[in-house]
Amino acid sequence: MKAIFASTSAALLTAALASSAVVAADLKPEDQIRYRQAGYSFMAWNMGKIKANLDGQYNAEQVSAAANAIDAIAKSGMGALYGPGTDQNIGEVKTRVKPELFSNMQEVGTLARDFAAATDNLAKVAMSGDAAEVRGAFGAVGKACKSCHDKFRAD
Amino acid sequence: MQTYRIRVWDLATRVVHWALFVLVVAAYVTGLIGGNLMQWHAWIGLAIVGLLAFRIAWGWLGSTYARFGQFVRGPNAVLDYLRGRWHGVGHNPIGAVSVLVLLGVLSLQSLTGLFGNDDIAFEGPLYVLISKDSSDWLIGLHRQMIWPIAALVGLHVAAMVFYALVRKDNLVTPMFTGEKRVSDPNIASAKGGGWLALLAALLIAGALVWVANGGLIPPPPPVPVPAW
Repeated sequence: MKAIFASTSAALLTAALASSAVVAADLKPEDQIRYRQAGYSFMAWNMGKIKANLDGQYNAEQVSAAANAIDAIAKSGMGALYGPGTDQNIGEVKTRVKPELFSNMQEVGTLARDFAAATDNLAKVAMSGDAAEVRGAFGAVGKACKSCHDKFRAD
Repeated sequence: MQTYRIRVWDLATRVVHWALFVLVVAAYVTGLIGGNLMQWHAWIGLAIVGLLAFRIAWGWLGSTYARFGQFVRGPNAVLDYLRGRWHGVGHNPIGAVSVLVLLGVLSLQSLTGLFGNDDIAFEGPLYVLISKDSSDWLIGLHRQMIWPIAALVGLHVAAMVFYALVRKDNLVTPMFTGEKRVSDPNIASAKGGGWLALLAALLIAGALVWVANGGLIPPPPPVPVPAW
């Protein structure tokens, strides 16, 4: 029974992975670019909110909501949005990604995991409501953003 | 040979020179590291705007050898200098070009920073005045300029080393003491640049920093934010 359960869940997992791969492939390249840019913009909006809270009146609830939004996007599997054909502008849809990203996927993966670790920490710290700790974690997220921008975002 | 000691660089020129050096280095460090140091990068940038504005104003208000009118000359003067026919005091004709180029590139660098954004959480104080696309373009220039500017600063330092070792002319000490030894008794000490001039230059610099920090931009009217 246990063996059946294990093999069934393994099969389900495989099916889930396969289907998620299919979903990514189904997305038009220009939509992949749009979605990934929407993700980054939405994170930037929430980063701006946290900064405003740190600079002005601190609202722990708002900061926590913003940190959770950033963390959720960071862990949403955005790597799927860097599919074939998304390395250059498609008509009106412009991208500032450097072509090098697509030949350094392993390094990008490391940067992405470091980024998610930083957002995870920010979300955890935000829950505690300690503004000084949030400031530190916020700076670390900013650095994690920058480490990828410096390498793979064109000027 | 008898030499005479003259005052060549007034105190304000020296203070601005070394403050600019320290702050430009600090701007590089904070900008390259990023994160929470971006707030410091912004403050340092505003201070650099103040120093540049002061130095440019001092080019008219300052003492003799700090004035643009004294050292900015045409290309013929540069050629004369290269042929060894220049025997003045203060910035030599090539040094004058170096002064103008460094002031120019640092001014442009400050300006692009004021309008910039970093796609993360930082916006320059004048970012609101232009579109995101324009800001992205300007801040791209800001990033591309950092190594050319570092090279110009390196060239400036290399020139000081060249003068010290090859021409046996120490240009660094006068930038600390303000004094230089000359052999011609007819060369006069720097004059002008008194307290009133200093006050005027400080006011100009302060006003420019205020404008650069968005002082002229009216704050946005408060908009009610729904609870959702």
